[in-house]
Amino acid sequence: MSTRDDEYDYLFKVVLIGDSGVGKSNLLSRFTRNEFNLESKSTIGVEFATRSIQVDGKTIKAQIWDTAGQERYRAITAAYYRGAVGALLVYDIAKHLTYENVERWLRELRDHADQNIVIMLVGNKSDLRHLRAVLTDEAKAFAERNGLSFIETSALDSTNVDNAFQNILTEIYRIVSQKQIRDPPEGDTIRPQNVEPIDVKPTVNSDSVRKQCCQ
Amino acid sequence: MAYRARLKEFQDILQEDFVQLIKLKKLAFNGIPDDQGLRALCWKLLLGYLPPERESWQDVLNHDLVVMPGSEETNGDCTLLDHPLSINPDSQWQTYFKDNEVLLQIDKDVRRLCPDISFFQQPTDYPCSQIVNSNDVKRLHTRVQRSVLKCANVERKGLGITKIALVLKKAQEDYQPMTEGQEAHWEVVERILFLYAKLNPGQGYVQGMNEIIGPIYYTFARDQDAAYREYAEADCFFCFTNLMSEIRDFFIKTLDSTDCGINNMMVRLTNQLRESDFDIWLHFQQLELRPEYYGFRWITLLLSQEFPLPDVLRIWDTLFSDENRFNFLIYICCAMIM
Repeated sequence: MSTRDDEYDYLFKVVLIGDSGVGKSNLLSRFTRNEFNLESKSTIGVEFATRSIQVDGKTIKAQIWDTAGQERYRAITAAYYRGAVGALLVYDIAKHLTYENVERWLRELRDHADQNIVIMLVGNKSDLRHLRAVLTDEAKAFAERNGLSFIETSALDSTNVDNAFQNILTEIYRIVSQKQIRDPPEGDTIRPQNVEPIDVKPTVNSDSVRKQCCQ
Repeated sequence: MAYRARLKEFQDILQEDFVQLIKLKKLAFNGIPDDQGLRALCWKLLLGYLPPERESWQDVLNHDLVVMPGSEETNGDCTLLDHPLSINPDSQWQTYFKDNEVLLQIDKDVRRLCPDISFFQQPTDYPCSQIVNSNDVKRLHTRVQRSVLKCANVERKGLGITKIALVLKKAQEDYQPMTEGQEAHWEVVERILFLYAKLNPGQGYVQGMNEIIGPIYYTFARDQDAAYREYAEADCFFCFTNLMSEIRDFFIKTLDSTDCGINNMMVRLTNQLRESDFDIWLHFQQLELRPEYYGFRWITLLLSQEFPLPDVLRIWDTLFSDENRFNFLIYICCAMIM
């Protein structure tokens, strides 16, 4: 990366979540330092690293947070999810249980993260072809149903690791830059101080409220 | 002080009928010599496993204790009352499956223990014979081993000719189980952690405990005295339990905000930093760089992931000798920032 570390147009915080042993820490080290460690230690608490990439001529600095997979460390600080605009939800394609737990992680995100967070489902360890336990199509269909993007990666042989981060950061960038067109930042326009925005709620049609039957 | 002189001082203290712990702590605070199993013996005293009275050591160390977690469980027992699909909370099968969840996590972590050295992948000289000669049936990790159904491509070529292509590839694992009759050190550690989790159901197993038990087991299992080395497993279990009784609150989420929880330790670290180097403290405040982001692991694991193992052992000599545990830990953490 040619840009200096402190020069960037956008800073995006992205969290890595998923069961322990799926390779979150290695995805982080592969993306930020191009390193992979076959025998990495379990992550305790939180760790993070940054890397800047270019999208549409803008420099985006990604601050990627990694945490332990176990329950005890998830909620160590609400700070882990605070301000996160993206989440890579990682499972191991060779361990079906880690895929089954994806739903639990989605609930966790719903409970703790911003509701607009961009989520990408990542099937890691795609190099373990002969041990595959989760079908690509199955995971892809699941991702579509839940409105997530999807990719398979291998932190070991680097397949798709850059793509995964590039994709999610680009997606976040598009959302943020469109939002900026819609809602110009404070100060750009002059607004009367005594005007409150009006929140128009959808009309609830009493007929359409489902009635309990056969009580 | 010259090395030999230090060695002599340790020997003098440890040879007395009643070991004076205050003297020992003062001496061990500056590091315990690597020689003659001194560290293992001192740690057993400093962690309160061995009493100061020398004559009672034999009773403590004379373990007839062979604990085999899981050996009493009647797996394979299917009756109308208890069966694998039973939802009765008292069901032994339910317990068995719940235990396996804990065991699965332990299994992942002990295979990642001190990956930079080969020690934990080596066979122990003192395997548990009932386990290692059981055709793998009683080995703990076989309970959570993933099994894959074998499949093969069957091709029929004309009459009577069938080609079965059976492909069996397996990923090479470093932390491989040993052959019958042998047991790797990580398997022993797995057993201790599982036993600890079973005996402390309120706490169970939390990731990171492997990093606490690692240095203790390493020290005991490498004792130069074979008579001690043979019982490394039991000694390690009790010393680990004693140490955990002092630091277990760091591992319990619901105790985070109590006096002995991790948050309080991090507050102590922040306060110490403010006292020792106001400018850095202020800088951290401005950056909103909270101790959760850097100091959490330092404190929870007593620095065991921050340094190479020999250095960790040396640091622990001091931590265990600290009269006001764990004040000195806070000092070290603070010094690491400055």
